[in-house]
Amino acid sequence: MVETTASDRMTTSLAPQSSLGERWAALRNTMSAWWFLLPAIVFFVGYQVYPIFRVLWISFTDYEFLSSDPAQFVGFANYITALNDPLMWASLWRAALFTLMFLPGTIILPLLLAILIDKVTNAKLATFYRVVLLIPAVIPSTLVFVLWKWMYNYQVGPINHFLVDVTGLFTLQNAPQWLGGTPLTLPAIAVMEWWWGLGYHTIFFLAGLAAIPKDLPEAARIDGASEWKIFWHITRPALAPIMMILVVLRFGSAMAVIDEYLIFGGFNRDTPTYTWTIFMYDQAFKLGLWRQGFAAAIGMIGALGMMVVMVILIRIFRPKG
Amino acid sequence: MSDAALSAKPERSWFAENKASIIRHGVINIFMLIILAPLAWVLMMSIKSRPDAMRGDFWPRKFDFGTYAYVFEKIDTLPVNLWNSIYVTGLTTLFTSIFAILAGYALVHMRPKGGGIVVVALLVSLYFPTRVVSIISVYEIQSSLGLINKTWGLILPYITLNLAISILIMRSVFQLVPHEVVEAAKVDGAGPVRTLWEIVLPMARNGLVVIFIVNFVTAWGEFLLCSTLTNDQTARTMPVVLAGAQGGLGQWSWPNLAAVYMIVVTPGIIAFTFAQKLFFKGLMEGVVKG
Repeated sequence: MVETTASDRMTTSLAPQSSLGERWAALRNTMSAWWFLLPAIVFFVGYQVYPIFRVLWISFTDYEFLSSDPAQFVGFANYITALNDPLMWASLWRAALFTLMFLPGTIILPLLLAILIDKVTNAKLATFYRVVLLIPAVIPSTLVFVLWKWMYNYQVGPINHFLVDVTGLFTLQNAPQWLGGTPLTLPAIAVMEWWWGLGYHTIFFLAGLAAIPKDLPEAARIDGASEWKIFWHITRPALAPIMMILVVLRFGSAMAVIDEYLIFGGFNRDTPTYTWTIFMYDQAFKLGLWRQGFAAAIGMIGALGMMVVMVILIRIFRPKG
Repeated sequence: MSDAALSAKPERSWFAENKASIIRHGVINIFMLIILAPLAWVLMMSIKSRPDAMRGDFWPRKFDFGTYAYVFEKIDTLPVNLWNSIYVTGLTTLFTSIFAILAGYALVHMRPKGGGIVVVALLVSLYFPTRVVSIISVYEIQSSLGLINKTWGLILPYITLNLAISILIMRSVFQLVPHEVVEAAKVDGAGPVRTLWEIVLPMARNGLVVIFIVNFVTAWGEFLLCSTLTNDQTARTMPVVLAGAQGGLGQWSWPNLAAVYMIVVTPGIIAFTFAQKLFFKGLMEGVVKG
């Protein structure tokens, strides 16, 4: 092995290299690089890029999946119908309302917890806290929803057990109905999402806090700066990049929530969980001949509306300088 | 805390020093309790006797540890659904990881022309609600391939669920491997496959743990695609069946449901607890810095 290596080195260094040979080597390198990328790209294009453009195309047709008639190009007709439908606006507003409930708690609570845990000096305790923090993050999504479906359960759920049997704040007759499309459903889902993201987001903030040199806040404290001033002038700017990523990503996931609404809500158009995602799903897979042309237009309106707000958010939260 | 840090502080009484610490740990532990309480509740539910299950007290009057054996003997769809979950998740994780390793390595150390476009496309896909909007087209694709109601057919769309983020994580992890190491291997006559497998991959162990766990968690709990692309209960994965189960009736009595839940949720938590050191390192290398 060592001998061949040495001789290889000899030949490569001694052989006169033509520019043609070099170019051939570069081309071969690029070719093999694309072989490495090929499986990922096949799947990425096949199941992500192509579907988006296919849905975009479908949104300009009167395509109905179960209909035997070929789809006709209808231009912007689906978009006009959707934008004239009050349900389109109501469903977008519901998604935005959920995002407004969810976003502050999922940023502020982890930030608070991270600042507290960052000061823990006992290494074993710090590790223990970190492990517990990430347990919800390794619970698969559907199992989080099932877990909280039981937490909120009317009969056996511990939350109502606490409200009725332990504290007596409510009776069985007026105990809150958390899920199933009641007005409490969106806040209940938001609390569940806080729980789910609490640990993961805290770990993110902890990584950001670890990057702040420890003597910086110490020096400020000696100079008589208040804890709030230290937070505002040292901690906050240091965490700004992480904050921006979290706000933008979580805005995106909150606006596009669908599984939770399918599990907790259902397809009643008057309920708060009937958002644009459910509206789209309802049209595409439940109603009539599966009006997928119209559904695609709903999906595109929702997605584009989201993207616009995300660009604005990036501009607002982008760290200065 | 080091002596230097202590002496640098203005003098404070022993009590004041500890009061802050006690309050801090108290608040942290309340958060820890909130995180663990729902899981503890399900664990207790799974070992309660049936009358206790309806009573609502956290601590049962009578334990019944037989529920775990009972659900395997009496719910005949349970092994089917579990097996669906296991092989769909296993193959999805395997394929996504291999594809992400190859692509991440190529982007960093082989630097093909046009690689930048690939990275931008992957990043954009993270911000677009691809999963929701594409479902209409994915249904059509699966239908034309004859894969509706076929459990193994789920693997194909599942691979892409985390493909973009996995490639980007592996890319930032591979960026930590100096380019000279790869060049040296090339000079020594190692082909790209051998360089990747024998030299670079062992250095990217932490990142690998992260993408294994991320892909496992997503595939194991996927709901939207599974419930849209399959119809029969026997074709579905365990969590999707659990999400549809109405608690309290027949084979889905509350302790039975809770026992099934514990069976489905525990492997992931145990695996994570063992791998947590590597996972945290990988998270710092691949996600936070990336």
